[in-house]
Amino acid sequence: MPATLLLLAACKPPPEGRHPMAGADAAAGRAVVERVGCGSCHAFPDIAWPRGAVGPDLSRFASQTMIAGRVPNRPDLLAAFVRNAPAVVPGSAMPAMPIDEAEARDVAAYLYTLGAE
Amino acid sequence: MTVAVEGLSGWPPPVLDPAGPYAGSVTALTWVLIGMAVAVLLIVLAALYIALFGKGELRRRLGGEKVIWILGIAFPTVVLTGLLVWGLTLTRHLSAPAAEGTALKMRVSGEMWWWRVDYLDEAGSTLMADANELHIPVGRTVEIELVSPDVVHSFWVPQLSGKLDMVPGRRNLIRIQADRPGTYAGQCAEYCGGPHALMGFMVIAHEPAEWARWLARRRAPPAAPTDAQAQRGGQLFLAAGCGACHRIAGTPANGLAGPDLTYVGARRTLGAGILPNHRGTMMGWIGDSQAIKPGNRMPPYRVLSAEQLEAIAVYLEGRR
Amino acid sequence: MSSAPIAAGGKGSPGARSETGFDPELYRRFPTKEERPEGELAELERVWQAPRGWRLLTAVNNNYIGTFYVGAAFLFFLLAGILALVMRVQLALPLQGVLPQETYNQFFTMHGTVMMFLFAVPAVEALGVLLLPQMLAARDLPFPRLSAYAFWAYLVGGLCFFASLFFGLAPNGGWFMYPPLTSTAFSPGINADFWLLGIGFIEISAIAGAIEIIVGVLKTRAPGMTLARMPIFAWAMLVFAGMIIIAFPAVIFGTLALELERALNWPFFDPTRGGDPLLWQHLFWFFGHPEVYIIFLPAAGLVSMMVSSLAKTPLVGYRLIVLALVATGFISFGVWAHHMFAVGMPRLSIGFFSAASMAVSVPAGIQVFSWIATLSTGKPSHNVPTLFVVGGLVIFVMGGLTGVMVAMVPFDWQAHDSYFIVAHLHYVLIGGMVFPLFATFYFWAPMMSRRPLSERLGKWVFWLMFAGMHLTFLPMHLTGLMGMPRRVWTYLPERDWEITNLLSTAGAFVLGAGILLFLVDIARNFRFTTGDTAGNVYGGGTLEWLPNGLYAARSIPVVTSRDPLWDQPGISEDVEEGRYFLPGTATGHRETLITSPLNAEPQFLQIMPGPSVWPLFSAIFTAGFFLLLTVQAYTIGVVSGVLAILCVLRWLWETDRVVEPARVDIGAGIQVPTYVTGGSTHGWWAMVVLLIVILMIFLMALFSYLYLYGIHGRVWVSPPATFWLAPVLAGYGGATGLALLARRLLARETSTLWSPATNLIFAAGTLALGWAVDLHSWRASGLSPESSGQGATVYGLVAHQGMVVFVALLYAVYIAARNSRGLVSRPRNTSFDLATMFIAYCGVQGSVGALVVRLFPGVV
Repeated sequence: MPATLLLLAACKPPPEGRHPMAGADAAAGRAVVERVGCGSCHAFPDIAWPRGAVGPDLSRFASQTMIAGRVPNRPDLLAAFVRNAPAVVPGSAMPAMPIDEAEARDVAAYLYTLGAE
Repeated sequence: MTVAVEGLSGWPPPVLDPAGPYAGSVTALTWVLIGMAVAVLLIVLAALYIALFGKGELRRRLGGEKVIWILGIAFPTVVLTGLLVWGLTLTRHLSAPAAEGTALKMRVSGEMWWWRVDYLDEAGSTLMADANELHIPVGRTVEIELVSPDVVHSFWVPQLSGKLDMVPGRRNLIRIQADRPGTYAGQCAEYCGGPHALMGFMVIAHEPAEWARWLARRRAPPAAPTDAQAQRGGQLFLAAGCGACHRIAGTPANGLAGPDLTYVGARRTLGAGILPNHRGTMMGWIGDSQAIKPGNRMPPYRVLSAEQLEAIAVYLEGRR
Repeated sequence: MSSAPIAAGGKGSPGARSETGFDPELYRRFPTKEERPEGELAELERVWQAPRGWRLLTAVNNNYIGTFYVGAAFLFFLLAGILALVMRVQLALPLQGVLPQETYNQFFTMHGTVMMFLFAVPAVEALGVLLLPQMLAARDLPFPRLSAYAFWAYLVGGLCFFASLFFGLAPNGGWFMYPPLTSTAFSPGINADFWLLGIGFIEISAIAGAIEIIVGVLKTRAPGMTLARMPIFAWAMLVFAGMIIIAFPAVIFGTLALELERALNWPFFDPTRGGDPLLWQHLFWFFGHPEVYIIFLPAAGLVSMMVSSLAKTPLVGYRLIVLALVATGFISFGVWAHHMFAVGMPRLSIGFFSAASMAVSVPAGIQVFSWIATLSTGKPSHNVPTLFVVGGLVIFVMGGLTGVMVAMVPFDWQAHDSYFIVAHLHYVLIGGMVFPLFATFYFWAPMMSRRPLSERLGKWVFWLMFAGMHLTFLPMHLTGLMGMPRRVWTYLPERDWEITNLLSTAGAFVLGAGILLFLVDIARNFRFTTGDTAGNVYGGGTLEWLPNGLYAARSIPVVTSRDPLWDQPGISEDVEEGRYFLPGTATGHRETLITSPLNAEPQFLQIMPGPSVWPLFSAIFTAGFFLLLTVQAYTIGVVSGVLAILCVLRWLWETDRVVEPARVDIGAGIQVPTYVTGGSTHGWWAMVVLLIVILMIFLMALFSYLYLYGIHGRVWVSPPATFWLAPVLAGYGGATGLALLARRLLARETSTLWSPATNLIFAAGTLALGWAVDLHSWRASGLSPESSGQGATVYGLVAHQGMVVFVALLYAVYIAARNSRGLVSRPRNTSFDLATMFIAYCGVQGSVGALVVRLFPGVV
């Protein structure tokens, strides 16, 4: 999986405005990320603690073309993925998360602020 | 679901929002002391104002040795004596032992950087071991033995009582009581090195009947897992050597160095009150807890694959 | 200006009864009428001339050393302040990543340690060095080279200590360094050793300073300045120094014990081997709480003086204030355990310490209302020093009130180790020490600067600091009640602690801006000088405002009042024209007048040492010794230690010389000797103070022994058989006897073969023999220092005795060397006297120690 990510990182970044998240609030999403403890596994550029090392670093997530190297990095798929990853990407190492749909959209909006050009 | 359960919030200030008698009497004292401090400050400010900007008789009368005798000696002596008598009476009251046989007995050991919790019977032997959470019945005094095997820690649940240190080689007794159900945040209050900032715990007060049911459930360890992933997790838990430091009753895992995990799935938090407890955080913690709580005693398990981590997390999730 | 009623002696007549046989009538000869001889002033200036260029490093004069000292202390204030600012950024919001956990832990440890040990104590000591001689109209402090040594050891050691931060080697156990966290089991690195090292320097410089100040205040006051006419600052410094010699030995013994536990595995604090972690807490806070008053009292003394000058009226309640200072000194030794209310102490002790902690606020109340009464009596000027004095008073009162709150045990159980305490202690220390210090800077800068500091900038400095201080620390009270513990590098977001923390961080930067502006003021206006100073800008009435040079006042006036410049018309001109005591140099050396402790009657002329490179070298090698040992370079460390001792001996070699003529005229035909021995000498007083320090360290070791017996007595083993006491006591007792005999011999004996110095060597040898038997008997008994708390404390006492025995041997050899060069004057000699005192004391201490640990608890 890290190899796939590396490959993906080499791809051309998506054009701006590619990730519309109507009605979602990135700041609220960041708060959800802090509260749920996503940092246990992932490092986020603007969250100092925790900076987990088990999952991928999400510092440039907005520039990625794929989610978990398996499905396209699309708002609707991302919102579904952060809430219940195994349902979107069977076999994903990321477990389902205790958040609701609105929160998931906020989280996705937040993720699209990371490393956006 | 969030960690932000009401007990963790800082508003209203826990010291001023007591949930039981041991904290309540101190809250009353606190308000009186705050009132005293404000009143005396106002007197001093007024005197200072007169001294600097005042005119005439008032200022003249402030300018002799008599004012030192009255305001500097007599006044504080009277106020302080009154306060002292109250303070010492209250101290006596707060440190009096509970009536024989009425208190629930527990032992909490502060360890770098988590809390070992034992529920004791009348004779003082352990009924059940847990970590980082205390479940208590509402309305009953809980007498807790405080010990430490390593360095000095301090046990503090501001809504339930003042703090008391855990000193290696000594055994201190603290009494707490909650008069309403709820979750009360606690934290280590004596600097104990490294991640001292990340050494929290919770006290969860239940209605007595509910607490009795809870205790009854806890008399037996949770059932062995039935689904395949959890079973695999259980095997991995043992194979990876987790049992060397952690105990899960009813399995060969019987390590005592780290927290008892028999009921880990039922805990509100992970890592001693710092992370919400769910499958995701559990995986992150096991995989590399050093990235989360630097310096803690659990080594990172980077050798475990994602599937293995998840299996263990699922298994532990079921320990409830 | 009106005069205050004078307590003792009656107005105008200096001293009703004579203390030394000096006839007070002689004072009436001053001011003298005749012309001063040509060239007298030029000669005085030549003698006191400061070395130039890089040789300024060898200066020992208090104007220079005092200024360096204040500057260095202020540098550490800035450094520790910067640490605080970074910590405030880290805590501004939850889960910030400015400082990682380990770095934060080092930062807060260093902030506390540097502020308390490298800023606060040295700063007030520095003010003592700088201001006291001028206030007392002494030419200098009695031991200028000791001041220089203390300063250099502090500066070099302090800078190296601070630098440990840049290597990640700074201590991380908190400024209170509680074991077992700081024992090798939980702090294996050398970080903790750096703390013990850093404290070592401060212990040395604090003790040196205390000796200097006690002797200075008691022995070098201007004639006629009875105790009741001393400036309040001198009283405060006297109490300060007295507290240091009682309190510091506790931390000296504590740090030695902790280092012994770390380096040699002696379990003083290890509960698994009969030690006790709380022993450290007792030792630390027995020092640590008086420490707060050690910092506060001198500042309060300065405030008393400034209030009086700024209100242009004598201080109201002078005697009450003196009483309050002394009472604070006493009570402060009964409050240490209020730092330990949460360790689970017996209720009776809790009650005692709670009562004492409240009682200590009464003397503070006396001072506060005395200042208010003084302001009410006079016409307070509205200028920068007044602002800082009044602002500091308000802040201090607020800190005192929260202090009363936490003296209430049940409330303390909640507030203890929370941000409430952080707020409380910063209010007390900033209001009680930092604001008075800034007032002092503004008030006394004209005494040594060509220009006073700026009133305009100063007002900005004050308001920024005052507002910033409150914005930082007022919300912290609430943060504490909201449950935030101290010493945390971060906190979780759901605790609602963001708002108050953010306010505190903003406030810290406002406070910082004020201090930055102060630096601008210093850079623009402070121009150091010893001659053409800006002078008495604020109209002070005490002697430091006499026209001043490096030698302080031209002549030393007869003092008949507490505010001589107000009450003795023409004193400034008379002093400047040399119409008082010692208008020039009587012997061609640097000299000062030694007076009697109560009534300040002239006793003799002390010859003072001039600039020397040896105190500087001694300090560098002392620092090298500690530093090299800390980084485990043992061989060169020991070499450095030996060099330090040699340098100290070299510097001492030049002192205690008999000069010609034996009696000199110090003005108006009054003659005093230039060389005396015995109880009136400054050396004798210094030795007495030093012996009290050593005795206190010994008592702390003895206390530890008894304390650990009280905790773990069951596991103690029997001492060596009682017959061992015979040779041990014979050795120790014999040494005392021989030393005393040596002094008698010095008066009688003329032979060089069986000289008194040889006898002194015998005395030291007997002492060493007694000590060797002492040590051997314990080793033979099978008790090892590593085995138990009993072993650790017994060998701790033996080691302490070993240390003084080593010094005694060195001392005896030194005296023999002086004797062989004909430097030991007969029939009596000060160096020789002091050596006999020291060795005699060692014998007594050894005997008492041996008796206690062998007879208690075994036989008794």
